[in-house]
This record gives sequence, structure tokens and C-alpha cells, in this order.
Amino acid sequence: MSENGHIGRRGFAMLGMAALAAPAIARARQPDEITEHQRKLYEAARARNEQATWYVAHYNSETAEALGRAFDEAFPGVKANVVRTTAQVAFQRLSQDLRARVQNCDVFSSTDVGHYIRLKEDGRFEKYVPENIQHVIPSLRDIDKDGYYHTTSIGTVLINFNTNRVSREEAPVKWTDLLDPKWENRVTVGHPAFSGYVGTWVVTMRKLYGWDFFKRLERNRPQIGRSINDTVTMLNAGERWVGAGPGATTLRSASRGNPLAVNYPEDGTVLMISPTAIMKGTRNPNAARLFVEFLLSKRSCEIQAENFSEIVRSDVPSFPGARDLATVKIIRPTDEEIERGIPEVRELWRDTFGV
Amino acid sequence: MSTTVAPKVAAGPVAPSGGLLRRLRYLEPATLLWLLLVGALFFLVVWPVAELLITSFQARRTGEFTLSNYAAAYGRQRYVDALLNSLALGALAAAISAVMAVPMAWACSRTNMPGRGFAWLTVLAAFIIPPYLGAIGWILLAGPNSGWINQTWSLLTGSEASLVNVYTFWGLALVIALNSYPFIFIFTKSALDLISSEMEDAANILGAGTWTTTLKVTLPLVWPMMLAGIILVFLETIALFGTPAIIGIPARINVVTTQLWQFFEAPVRAEVAAAYAMPLLLITAALIGLQKLLLSRKGYVSQTGKGGERRVINLGPWRWVLFGWCVVVCVLSVVAPMIALVQASFSRAWGRGFSLDNLTLANYEFLLFGHDAARGAIVNTFVFSAASATLAMALALAIAYVVRRNLLPFGTALAFLCMAPFVIPGIVMAIGFYAAYAGPPLLLYGTATLMILAFTTRFLPIAYANGAAGMQMIHPEMEEAVRILGGGRLTAIRSVVAPLLKKALLGGWLLVFILATRELSAAIFLIGPHTRTISVLLYDLSEEGNFEVLSALGGILLVITLVFVGIGMRLIGRDFMLRRSSE
Repeated sequence: MSENGHIGRRGFAMLGMAALAAPAIARARQPDEITEHQRKLYEAARARNEQATWYVAHYNSETAEALGRAFDEAFPGVKANVVRTTAQVAFQRLSQDLRARVQNCDVFSSTDVGHYIRLKEDGRFEKYVPENIQHVIPSLRDIDKDGYYHTTSIGTVLINFNTNRVSREEAPVKWTDLLDPKWENRVTVGHPAFSGYVGTWVVTMRKLYGWDFFKRLERNRPQIGRSINDTVTMLNAGERWVGAGPGATTLRSASRGNPLAVNYPEDGTVLMISPTAIMKGTRNPNAARLFVEFLLSKRSCEIQAENFSEIVRSDVPSFPGARDLATVKIIRPTDEEIERGIPEVRELWRDTFGV
Repeated sequence: MSTTVAPKVAAGPVAPSGGLLRRLRYLEPATLLWLLLVGALFFLVVWPVAELLITSFQARRTGEFTLSNYAAAYGRQRYVDALLNSLALGALAAAISAVMAVPMAWACSRTNMPGRGFAWLTVLAAFIIPPYLGAIGWILLAGPNSGWINQTWSLLTGSEASLVNVYTFWGLALVIALNSYPFIFIFTKSALDLISSEMEDAANILGAGTWTTTLKVTLPLVWPMMLAGIILVFLETIALFGTPAIIGIPARINVVTTQLWQFFEAPVRAEVAAAYAMPLLLITAALIGLQKLLLSRKGYVSQTGKGGERRVINLGPWRWVLFGWCVVVCVLSVVAPMIALVQASFSRAWGRGFSLDNLTLANYEFLLFGHDAARGAIVNTFVFSAASATLAMALALAIAYVVRRNLLPFGTALAFLCMAPFVIPGIVMAIGFYAAYAGPPLLLYGTATLMILAFTTRFLPIAYANGAAGMQMIHPEMEEAVRILGGGRLTAIRSVVAPLLKKALLGGWLLVFILATRELSAAIFLIGPHTRTISVLLYDLSEEGNFEVLSALGGILLVITLVFVGIGMRLIGRDFMLRRSSE
């Protein structure tokens, strides 16, 4: 049985990005130690024929489904149903489910912290503190002091640039470098009303330097995209040279050979936290808990790293080009600052940039 | 089957009182079918839109009745400005599209211009390529900093200033038009294919030249189809998200759809989005009214029982002028996206530009053999699109027939219902679909049926506009002949109307099919693990910045769709009105 499984995976890996995936397959052969607690959850879930339905916006479909498959392999007999969409769609579906009193979702993973604050207030979550949280980078633990939701995925906003146009020496090393007049018509950013990443970045910049930062940025006439990933496209097209962009997407594109690089800004890499929670009233409580444990496991982090997602454990190597976040200066506003700040900065943004 | 009573009486609204029983005797089985159609329309359009309407009056968390969503949606100047921008953009894009498409359609349908088949295919190709790639192609060409046109310009003139800038209102309208003109082309061409030469001959005999005849006789005759196409481009532009997001936001132009998306960012305010979208239905209603006004009291019937033939107009040297125009439009609409597509899909890294060591087939290989979901998504896309195109065309033709022949009361209301879904942006419409079909009692979530229903509803307007405008050209006398000879209404439709409209219907089918393969905004809301489509995959790939694989997927989509189109054209066969000798 397991022999067949290996051949299948190996075949897939060779057809896909062989160079990237092969070492990961080797690692995958050493499964996580299953603790007593997880074994109990597993047995209970299997006995009750449970399936965990997972609404997820953290990853692209490939990664999300790879995680679902890995869970099925690790715990035969318990299944994960992966429902992958964008954060706003996931939340809207969940809201419609709740209003129609349909219990579809067992585990909810949105990229938007605001969703968690609201759903927790409404008493929609089941409290569960995963055992595996102890392996997570300390600064990412305890984002909810009551233990209703936990960090399972993260992302970074940093400085990205086109290496054909800008040498490493010239490239901005801190956020305020983007204000230098030499970058006039050269900067690209996303839009805080379209992207949570950009919104969090804007809130952070305002906290560090005041709104004046953006008034001065406007003198450089930045190109405003929608998603934070638009900065990667604009840099690749050569239309813009430097940007405030996402670490993972930039490095994934760079790993293919695109002329891109990143600088972790001296004044702080902006950290995005994406939580996961279990829905109250779930009919699959054991499977849901087991799945949350799995999301924080080594195996899960390996799959995420293979797919260029930032990971929450430091005992698993990250993807090529990424620095260990423990060695980088990190900045992150509090959840409340983000919640309150994003609507404010959207208005300010429109006053300053006109869109 | 009744052979003595005139069809209109038999199938008309059932009169009350004593005549009822006698009338029921003459009731045709077809009448039941009409009622069934109305039922289908309610199921597909009224239900989801009603769910949406209810949502727009609900408070976010409690679900209580409120008007505050409307206040939030229209209470700010900026939101109203976005609506005005959209209307202006729609009008401009429709105008540019018409200028591009009408001469091409005329040349392809009625003249001896060279390369007609080629022009037809490139129009379709322009339509198939995902708008996302087209927009990126135009950024590569006309970006103010690094666009190739601007670089060449400064190389030639030494000037620092850029020649063209895609990030402007006109740039945005042009890029949209280059992706939408196939609507008008296909509509106009299918109508032109139905007109026989006799009226042109009459004009010629009275001394009118080719141009006068074309402008005063031929084009006015196809005005209903042209107008339908123009209205569709206008409505589609209002509901379009992709291109305004890529080009409009950097150009700092806010439109309805980009505004709507902001309601879906945290905190998600879907109720406000629904409220913002509902008044858009008024635009559709107004346009249908306008259409009625413009077409009233004029006859557009060109298909009568008298037979007819069509000859190719010999343009002489002018055919090269028209050919030149087609080449210009094709270059603008196909080459830009193709630059992006070809450059990136065969590259290891598209940011490195053209170079030999950057060439690879790995992106295609990865999609076809290495990617978990790609093959399933490709199959899904074509199955869903073909099924919904067929369903939408069948429904639309039947309803157009009912409306045009006045078989049921409130025909205009039925027409409105058919057109309504188009102007509501897909992301908002999806809320209605999800509420109507996904949960109890139907529980269609995650099924192919849900996707097909949603696509059918989304694109029913295209099918209907096509079917209705086509019906306008057919005189009832041919069906009456069938009836007199004892055939029922269904026989008349099957053996007279459908064959006459065959080409127009194929055009409509293709439009729906292609649009369904591109549909993203509703699909992204409704897909389940096994109903993923290419468009959602494209979106995923764009989100992860994987532009090389994205382009390769665009290429695969293009090739497969063109093969389908080729097969379809072959099945439909030769143009029946064209005299063989003149070919």
C-alpha cells in the first residue's frame, strides 16, 4: 500500500517541478510523531466516520488540495473536504450558510483577521487550543487571548524590485527610501481597498511615519494596482522598478528566473497573520480538531514551503530566497489597529491618490 | 391537431366565461410548453434576483429589514461618480466597437473582400483570449514607461515623452472595445447573412450605387441586430471587472465594478453590494425601452416566403481598403494579447523577455501532464460551457418566439426578464445563485448542475438578444404555410424557424459558449472541489504571479475553443443563400 503511494507521489513530482519537489518527498517519508492526544482524536473521528470540511483562503488551490490529500494520507478513514476560495467569498458563503442555518463548514481559514473578530463576537467559534501550537514561532502564538483562533499561515510585505533596472546596491533598503525623488514614476503599490495585505501595510506605514509618508509617496506618482500581487506583474513587465510587494509571490516568480529580488526593510518587514478556527456546533468535532493539529504539523509546513507559502514553524526550512523570519525585524500592528485602521486609511488613500 | 382555427386565436390568452371550454378544445400542446418556459425563466432569473433583492434589504448580521444598505450604497458622491464613469465608459466602448465591427461584418458577409475566413477567425480569437492577457499585452505595448511603442518612438525621435499611454480613459475604453467588438460583429454578420439581394437590386435599379445602397438599404435592415449588439457591449462594459481593475485603477478611474469589489473587502458588505447593483436593473429596463422606441413602426422583415438569393458585391479596388481595416482591427485586438501570451507561455521567466535560452515547452507540459487540476478544469469548462450555451439558446429562441408572435401576454416583461441578469455584475449575481440553488431545498452546491444553471442565467441575455433580433427578420407567413398544411407550432419552429435562423443561432451559441469559458466572477463563488473551471485556475495563477503557466493555459483554451468552433462551422455547413456560381 505505502509503496504504491510513494510511486504515485514520485511520479507526480517528476512531472511537476521536479527539482523543487524531490527533496520534499524525501522529507515526507518521515511522518510526524503522532501524539497520544492526536491518536485519540483520530480514533474518535474514524469511529464516528467524521469528515472535516475546510473553507480556506490561505493558499492557492494547488496547495490547499495538497494539504487536504496529505491529511487523508496521514489519517486514513478521516477525510478533509477542501473548499478553497478567496477570503471574501469564503466569508460571504459562511455568512449565507449561517443565515440559512446550514452547517457546511467545520474549519474556517480566512486571511482576514477582521472576520475572526466579528465571528468570535457573534459566538460562532468553538474554543480549541491545539497541542501543536507549542511548535509555532513564539511571536505568532496567542493572537486570540481566549484561544478561539490561531495562526496557521503567514505572509510578508517587503520591498521588491526588478534586478534588470535596479542593482542590489541601488535598491531601497528601508520603506522611506521609496520616497526618494529618484524613484519618480518608478514605484508600484497595491490598493488598500482591494487587498488586506496592502491595507495592513498602509496602516503600518501610517503608524511608523504618519500619513505624511503617503503624501510624499504621491510626489513620486506610484502606480496603484489592485492586489498586492499586481506589483510583481508590473515589475516583471518592466513598467515599474521598485514596489511594496509580497515576499512569497515575488520569490516564487524569481525562482523561475524572473529578474526579481526582495529586500527585507531595515525599518521592518510587515507581517500578515492568517488564522484558523473551528466552527461552533460542528458535527465533526474530532476531525476538525485533528485537522487544525495537522495544519500546524511539520508535514503541513513542508507542503506549504514547497508551494511558496510562508510557514509558522522555524524547524522546517522555508522556500528558496526567503529569510528566516526569526532573524528579520518584523512589524505588525495589533488586530484592533488593523480593524480600525483599514477603513480610515482607505478614505485617506482616496483623498491623497484620488482612486 | 386543429386545422381550422387561426393559430393566434388558439394560443392566445384564455378568455373567461362560457367560451372557455370551447377554447380549451383548441388548446395546443405547445401552449403548455410556453407556460413551462415561463416557469423556467422564473426558476433561472426571478428566483436568484429575488434572493438578491431580499438581501439588499437585510441588515448584515440580524437579517432584519432595513433601507440602510441603499443609503450606504448611494449615499456618497464617489459611488455615484463611479456609476457615471461606467455609463460613459460603456457608451464609448460601444461606439468604438461599432466603428470597428460593422464595416468588418459587412465586408465578411456581403463582399468579395479577400481573407474573409481569416478575418472571421481572428475576431473569434480576439474574443476567446482571456481579457486579463489582453490587458497585460497592452501594458507591454503601450505602458508609458516601458511600452514597446513608446520605446520605439523615443528611439526614433529621441523624445523623452511617451507617445501612447494605456492608463487613460480612452486607453481603457479602447482595450475593452478590442475585446468586445466581436459581439457586434457576430450579431451584424448573422443578420447580414439573412438578407437577400432583392432589395439592394431594387435600389440599384433606381440608380443607387453600392455605397448608397449599403448605407440606405442594407445596414438599416440589420439595425435591430446591430442595436442588440451595441446594447450588449454597453451592458457588458458596465458589468466588466477584469480590464477596469488592471488598467482603470492605475489610471485612477473608479467604475461600478471596481467599487463593488471594495464592498467585498473587509468588512464584507455583500448586502450593500446587492443594494448597489439593484438599480443597475433600471439601466437594462431603460435600454429595452429605448430599443423598442428605436425599432418601433418600422419593418425589418427580410425573410419572407418569396425566396431570395444573395450575391457577393464586387468592391473592385475598395476591397483592399476594407481588407486593410480588418487587418488593423485584427492586429490591434489579437496581436497585443498574443504578444503577452506567446512571449510568456514559452518562457521560463517572462520578465527576461525574448531570448533563446529562455524558451521552453515546460509550461504546457506541466499543465497537460503535471498539474493536478488543469485537465479536470479544462474538461469542466467545455462541458459547462457547451451545456449552458445549448440550454440558453434553446430557451432564448423559444421565448423570443413567444414574445415576437405574441403567444402570451406581457411579452415585454418576459423580454426584460431575459435581459435582466446581464447588467448585474457576476460577483453580485453569484450571491443570488448561491442563496437560490446551493442550499436547501435543491442542495446543488458543488455540482455541475449549479455551474450550468448559473452560466445559463448569466448569458441568457446574449442568447435572447440574438434570438429576438433574428426573429424580427422572419415573416410569419412561412410558419402559417406550415400551419395551413396541418403542421403544429412546434413543427413550424423545427422545420422553418430554426433552419432559417441556423447561422444566427450558431453565432449566438458561440458567443455564449466563449463567454462561459471566460466566466470568472460567479464561478469563483460557486465552484466546489470537482467543478473547478479554467477561468478560476487562471485567477489562481494570476494571484500567485505565475504568469508563464497562466499564459500557457490561455493558449490551450484558445486552441481547444478554435477547434470546437471549426467543427461547429463545418456542421452548420454552406451558406444556403449564397449562389454557388458567385463563389
